[in-house]
Amino acid sequence: MSIISKLTNSWAQADGDEKRLVVKYAILTAFLFLPLFWAFLGVRNLYPIAAWNVMMAGGDLERGRSYCMLRGETISGETIDVAAIELTGALFSRNWTMVNAAIDNQSFKLKSLHPQNEELLRQFGGIENLPPGARIPDLLQAWGDIYNKREPESSPKRLKAIRLDMYRWESGRYSDYDKFIETWRKEL
Amino acid sequence: MAQGIINRVVPASPFALGVARFFVHGTFLLTTLITSFSALGSLPPTILRPTGAMKFLPWSFYDLLQTHSGMLTLKTVMLVSLLLSTAGFLTVMSTKTSLLLVLFYQGLLRSFGHFNHDEMIAVYFLVVLAFTPCGDAFSIDRRLGRIKKQRPAFAYAYPILLMQLLLAWVYFSSALIKLRVAGWKYLTPDNLPALAIFHSLDNLHDTAFRAAFWLPQVRQYLPIFVALVLVWELLFPLAVFFRRMRWWILGIGVIFHLSTLFLMNIFFPHQLLMYLIFVDWDRRKK
Repeated sequence: MSIISKLTNSWAQADGDEKRLVVKYAILTAFLFLPLFWAFLGVRNLYPIAAWNVMMAGGDLERGRSYCMLRGETISGETIDVAAIELTGALFSRNWTMVNAAIDNQSFKLKSLHPQNEELLRQFGGIENLPPGARIPDLLQAWGDIYNKREPESSPKRLKAIRLDMYRWESGRYSDYDKFIETWRKEL
Repeated sequence: MAQGIINRVVPASPFALGVARFFVHGTFLLTTLITSFSALGSLPPTILRPTGAMKFLPWSFYDLLQTHSGMLTLKTVMLVSLLLSTAGFLTVMSTKTSLLLVLFYQGLLRSFGHFNHDEMIAVYFLVVLAFTPCGDAFSIDRRLGRIKKQRPAFAYAYPILLMQLLLAWVYFSSALIKLRVAGWKYLTPDNLPALAIFHSLDNLHDTAFRAAFWLPQVRQYLPIFVALVLVWELLFPLAVFFRRMRWWILGIGVIFHLSTLFLMNIFFPHQLLMYLIFVDWDRRKK
């Protein structure tokens, strides 16, 4: 007997409850997999629909890349590295892209802008006049406050300023990883 | 007939599906418990970029949420819901509320950063569990005698199969997308070292391992390594149907994810934990 006729027979023998269960599970499967196929075909992530395009393009040695270091200036005069994960651990694996997006002013490129961003854009007279990282000082202020809240008032490790140093790996070769580009600094 | 095959391929008991509910919801319960929501609430809403479905919410809502009390409320509600769904109490309702809350919270995180894929498979598992009888065993509902209905084994086996297929899709589609987008270029000697070094330069990643800087020394061998990873991803669906291959495929997965941690400072702990869906909990019980 062919598989199809076996399936047809077992469907005919199933009672109402079983049939309902099969239909329900078929709908659940389609509900999950159809959007995933759509995302896969278009290589497009539209939350919560995911296309697993992690590292799909691979690395390119010829392409230069910028990156940032988060640093704090303590009241004792020291400059220390500050790990973003220890400040906003909830973002797990997303701190670096949050910074990149903020430097690129991506929150000013949305269809619907936050009212405060709309106001700032008006003040600057358009996105083309906005400096890179227009909201980075706000982010640095938040990170600085989180850091200092965890330190006792008398601690010499408290920060008087926090900054984001941007570097560039010009690339083309495996050396010269840290050409300085610019700094955003926030007094706390 | 199809039901019979499914029941043989995966565990087909309410206990096995109950354990799946416990570890999937428990994973989110644990991460919610140990995460500082108040620090997240300190971030300015002006850097948010609501993604996908998150765009439907108004800015005034995000302004309310991105406060100490807003985040405290979200955390409390999530903890209560996830505690109930993990323990299997009022399961029909609590699995759905947990799904909605986690879906919202994960969307919020992605609205700050990028569409990170680590937790997504676990979110899809939450969808499966919310619409299947995952509280029929290994639950408080069962202890209280609230589960009366007898269901066929297929009712418990198919959701487990569906979750295994979803996990297999993650790796299989990932390999196909790499081949579609980058093609053979993906196998160039500089692909892995350039990518790994870039992810090891800043201090904004979660870890700061420096193993990537050793990769250029062995760059001529790396295309073989990358090709083997692609083959492993393409073969991942076999783990669903062949028990003997399963532990090899999952074992390589553990090594793969640990190597991305040390080489790229990128780790997928939620996805790794979801490998537990391949454990035959019925056999372990015996």
